Amino acid sequence: MGTSAIIFYTIAAIMIVFSLLAVTARKILRAAVYLLFALGGTAAIYFMMNYFFLAAVQLIVYAGGIVVLIIFSILLTSHIEEKMQKPDTWKIILTSILGFGGTALCLFVITNHLFVAHPATGAEATMATIGEKLLGYGEGGYVLPFEVISILLLAAMIGAIVVAKRNKPKGNG
Amino acid sequence: MTVQELLLMRHEWALIAGVLILLVLELNFSEEQKSKSIISAVVIFTIITLLGFLPAESGSTFGGMYVTDPVRLLMKNILNLGVLIIFLQAGSWLQTKNNYNRVTEFYLLMLSSVIGANFMISAGHFLMFYLGLELLTIPITAAASYDQYKSKSAEAGIKLILSSAFSSAILLFGLSMLYGSTGEMYFSEVRFSNDLIQVLGFVFFFSGLGFKISIVPFHLWTADVYEGSPTNVTSYLSVVSKGAAIFVLVLLLINLFEPLRLVWQQVIYGTAIFTMTIGNLFAIRQQNLKRFLAFSSIAQAGFILLGVIGGSALGMATVIYFVLVYVFSNLAAFGVVIAIEQYAGKVNMADYNGLYKTNPRLSLVMMLALFSLAGIPPLAGFFGKFFLFTAVAASGFYILLFIAVLNAVISLYYYLLVVKAMFISKSESPVPYFQSDYPTRIALSACVIGIIVIGFYSPVFEYIKQLCLISF
Repeated sequence: MGTSAIIFYTIAAIMIVFSLLAVTARKILRAAVYLLFALGGTAAIYFMMNYFFLAAVQLIVYAGGIVVLIIFSILLTSHIEEKMQKPDTWKIILTSILGFGGTALCLFVITNHLFVAHPATGAEATMATIGEKLLGYGEGGYVLPFEVISILLLAAMIGAIVVAKRNKPKGNG
Repeated sequence: MTVQELLLMRHEWALIAGVLILLVLELNFSEEQKSKSIISAVVIFTIITLLGFLPAESGSTFGGMYVTDPVRLLMKNILNLGVLIIFLQAGSWLQTKNNYNRVTEFYLLMLSSVIGANFMISAGHFLMFYLGLELLTIPITAAASYDQYKSKSAEAGIKLILSSAFSSAILLFGLSMLYGSTGEMYFSEVRFSNDLIQVLGFVFFFSGLGFKISIVPFHLWTADVYEGSPTNVTSYLSVVSKGAAIFVLVLLLINLFEPLRLVWQQVIYGTAIFTMTIGNLFAIRQQNLKRFLAFSSIAQAGFILLGVIGGSALGMATVIYFVLVYVFSNLAAFGVVIAIEQYAGKVNMADYNGLYKTNPRLSLVMMLALFSLAGIPPLAGFFGKFFLFTAVAASGFYILLFIAVLNAVISLYYYLLVVKAMFISKSESPVPYFQSDYPTRIALSACVIGIIVIGFYSPVFEYIKQLCLISF
């Protein structure tokens, strides 16, 4: 086993453990912190694959932005000390059968598939190529999805405003 | 990139322009002038709908990310018609006191969602498909929690966004399997080879899309969300959002997933039976008309799957025709529910007792709508179901056909329950006589004309069939 394989399996183990902890933790703040490590592990995998831009985005947006946002909203809305209720035993049994069954099925299918390396993979993703792809409108260009995402953001902002707007009519207090 | 290529995206440009114009107009209206923003939104959307019917060229642009052809244009036009009727019906609800500071926002959310539906239908790339799907859903989750003073409405919004996030995750996992095994995201270049991983990826993909169509077993959100949302949003969810997802499903199955035909025929065979049967059985027990229409729309989705299973151009034509009929019938039913809810605040079946005595015209519209949904000749719904059954028989699924006919009979029973309440049952205090506003009346008349004319005027189906045969 080479060094990179050892590093990969270490990161993968960290990610799996923290992902499991994040969904099983009884205290919500702990779950958020565990999530931070799982997301950080993803960034590490990107670094290993030489996707530096993606790794930086992952660190800044997910580990930096989203987790902080989640923690803020937890602090603002709920009681940190509160423990989540334990689910019923039969629920635990049913969901674990489904969960482990699904995982086993996916693992079986994925490990039995012979993946063919695509010729495009392995090319170094420099800032210049990313920029060209992002603004390209020909084959392999991504400017249309980029613009659709901006419409999506506009719509989501309007939606957020609608949800947050004061809802009492005038005159009723 | 030429101007002509950009003009291929005419529907989307018109909708985006509509959103921007409405945003600017909103700034100029004071809170007292909300009727103005309602009128301007309806006028703008009427123009957009009419623009859509102008002849257009087909082709693809943005390197194959965006594809358009006559069938896709027709699908978009059908959705536009549905949205126009919903806009007309929404006026009286938006003018109520509780919505004093949120009028234009409703139209903005709806328009953005329609943009998503259009991009999804025209997608030539998995990324565009996924973005369209999200753009279709996310604005509607905000619209579902529009009635904030009702906890049920907030609950509907939360339920919708959580379950749609979950289904999107499953869909994305499926897409990653498809991408991992084929190495391509462009629909025109993906080559399927019936590997196990592609089958599993397809099943995940189907379940994500099935969630939007509310196919059993992905239907559990439907009844609660339909009941809690404002009725205008419910009608959007059950007609436009569902219709768009069905259109995309049939387009992708026939074009993209053709090599996996044996797989998806089995998947649809099973889900169609469950969807029809469970939708029908649960619909019988409902007292709340919104829940009733929710389960009825689940059952209708099951019928639509019958047209999909053949996987032929003819099957596609029957699906488009059925959705066109379904738009008019379901929106007529919802229109009556909305009118009565706005006037009397009642949505239970018992409240409709004796409605014919006091409001004969509304009762007639409701009766026509329900008869069309049930498939009673000579209304359009009969031909819709008839063509679907023909398509199933043509592909040789006789057992499925038998179950579908049984279900059609069951559905007749519960649709007639409402008709019985309106026409036969007596009530001490029926909903008194009232007149709804002009837009609602126009919308209901348009629906009735649609239900009757599409049934009698056979060139409609011939036209759709012709388009499908040319394109596929």
